[in-house]
Amino acid sequence: MSTRARTDVGELLISLALLALGGFVVFETQGIAETQGYSQVGPRLFPYLIGTGLTLCGTWLAWQALSGGWRAMPDEAGTHAAPDRTGFVLISAGVVLHMVLIGWAGFILASTLLFVLVARGFGSTKPVRDVAIAAVLSTAVYFLFTQALGLSLPAGLFGG
Amino acid sequence: METLNALLSGFAVALTLQNLLLGFVGVTLGTAVGVLPGVGPALTVALLLPATASFDPTGALIMFAGIYYGAMFGGSTTSILLNTPGESATIVTAMEGNMMAKRGRAGPALATSAIGSFVAGTIGTVLLTFVSPFAVDVALKFGPAEYFSVMVLAFVTVSAVLGSSPARGLAALFIGLTIGLIGLDSQTGQARFTLGVPELLDGLDIVVVAVGLFAVGETLYVATYLNRGVDTIEQMKGSIWMSKDDWKRSWKPWLRGTAFGFPFGCIPAGGAEIPTFLSYATEKKLSQHSAEFGKGAIEGVAGPEAANNASASGTLMPLLTLGLPTTATAAIILAAFQQYGLQPGPLLFDTQPELIWGLIASMYIGNVILLALNLPLVGVWVKLLSIPRPLLYAGILIFATMGAYGIRNSWFDLALLYGIGLLGFVMRRYDIPVAPVLVGLILGPLSEQQFRRALAISQGDLSIFVTQPISATVLAITALVVIVPQAWRLVRRMQADAIGHHSPI
Repeated sequence: MSTRARTDVGELLISLALLALGGFVVFETQGIAETQGYSQVGPRLFPYLIGTGLTLCGTWLAWQALSGGWRAMPDEAGTHAAPDRTGFVLISAGVVLHMVLIGWAGFILASTLLFVLVARGFGSTKPVRDVAIAAVLSTAVYFLFTQALGLSLPAGLFGG
Repeated sequence: METLNALLSGFAVALTLQNLLLGFVGVTLGTAVGVLPGVGPALTVALLLPATASFDPTGALIMFAGIYYGAMFGGSTTSILLNTPGESATIVTAMEGNMMAKRGRAGPALATSAIGSFVAGTIGTVLLTFVSPFAVDVALKFGPAEYFSVMVLAFVTVSAVLGSSPARGLAALFIGLTIGLIGLDSQTGQARFTLGVPELLDGLDIVVVAVGLFAVGETLYVATYLNRGVDTIEQMKGSIWMSKDDWKRSWKPWLRGTAFGFPFGCIPAGGAEIPTFLSYATEKKLSQHSAEFGKGAIEGVAGPEAANNASASGTLMPLLTLGLPTTATAAIILAAFQQYGLQPGPLLFDTQPELIWGLIASMYIGNVILLALNLPLVGVWVKLLSIPRPLLYAGILIFATMGAYGIRNSWFDLALLYGIGLLGFVMRRYDIPVAPVLVGLILGPLSEQQFRRALAISQGDLSIFVTQPISATVLAITALVVIVPQAWRLVRRMQADAIGHHSPI
């Protein structure tokens, strides 16, 4: 086991988030009405157990984070050295905009925009090509799934 | 005899024109999507689940089984030519097969992997056919206490025993169990953890969770950390066919790999990872060409690939006879059954024999179609590998969002998809395994139900879990799989201390 000079902030934050989630689950469980019925065990027992489990895991991982770091982590320091934040933001924007737009703009337009943004997030430098492929793919998927496979997708601005 | 009759009537179902076509479409789609780099079998089945929604249960499940098998075949092609394993079970194939491809032997590597998968898949299906009725007999003796104990075993093996860190595995399991709590309590109908949001009353759909973790999370991760340079695709040079010597060196590893894979698939041991590594180690030991291992030995592709596919058939045994998923992929297949209100288990063999046996028969047919699709047409699939990364992931996200939105046409599911995608991103970044989340999500509510039923029978007496012989045995096994590896590690450390030097553990 290699000991590191500094505690990994991310590891500690995740451990604390698990702890907090466990506390939240236990707290919320108290709001569930206890009706036992035949089984002697009501709807509270499992949430209590699971909340406790989360808390224990969070504590365990927090202890690991503070005593030399999480155990048996793969060596990916090189991989994680220079994150591409622009890519992350562009893809996130694509997914969120898709969510906002799909209702009124329709599946085809929302998916086209999603495709272009994700491709850009991966460093594509050919926006015209991306738009063309996106439009063809979205349209093809739309008609395949609504006409042949019986899924219902919003037509949006193209709809009557 | 009874089994043979059942199987024959199953073929009658599977060979109808509609089901044959659905099976064909399933394996083709499965191969096409499974071949895409970064798309493993679990994501393939999750992405394609919506495509099956409009058919009758039998047809849909036949198509779905085809997708599963196709994804397994397609994944091997990617591993060999690109050295990017879609999941941990194909790491060995990726290593050894890619070395073969680098030495200009991509053809035989793909061939031994395809034929080995066919052999293992077919033998696995034969075993599934003839062992299932016995498993059903055992399963019929299971009461709620036994079901609960088996689920506890699955929880423990999937999270704490397999994988690099028990702490992270268990954390992932509890995250899955927490997600599983959301929705209406199955016994009392009370809303739990819905935070007053009506969309959460039905709970989180496993497709949203699986696609969020695998597609959105993985896309974010690859774009942020791995999007550098271009992957080198090994060219398909020379003949796809295997030489006489290749055959001679392949057939025994196929059979041995199958022997490793099927039993490991049947038990809750996390799928194909262990048997593929065991098969690789065995072949290395037995081979007369052991010096070639690590540089592209055909045995090192043939054995693990067979083990991988045999274990895929083995996984279906606990899934069909007990309703117990032991891998992420199996959890999604279980969700496909539940989509039609079907709960796999011993009773399903009684109430829906044509569905179960039609499904099993379709696997024989699917394996033949896959062999035909993969050997002569491998060149077509290889073309899919050269899709540039931006277009590939953009396309994956179109299907991911469509799958999530199509469930009930609500933007809320897309918000969940992104939220779970962020979770998947963080989990991938910090090496927290994803499979325990899915197994916890789908087995959590089922295990709670069985626990409460068991206590209803025993009138609140907890000892029912240790006084019933089957349940007690399963719990004892659970304790053993936790304690033995830890004790073994302790003994090793004490020995090392006694000798006076520390061995790296």
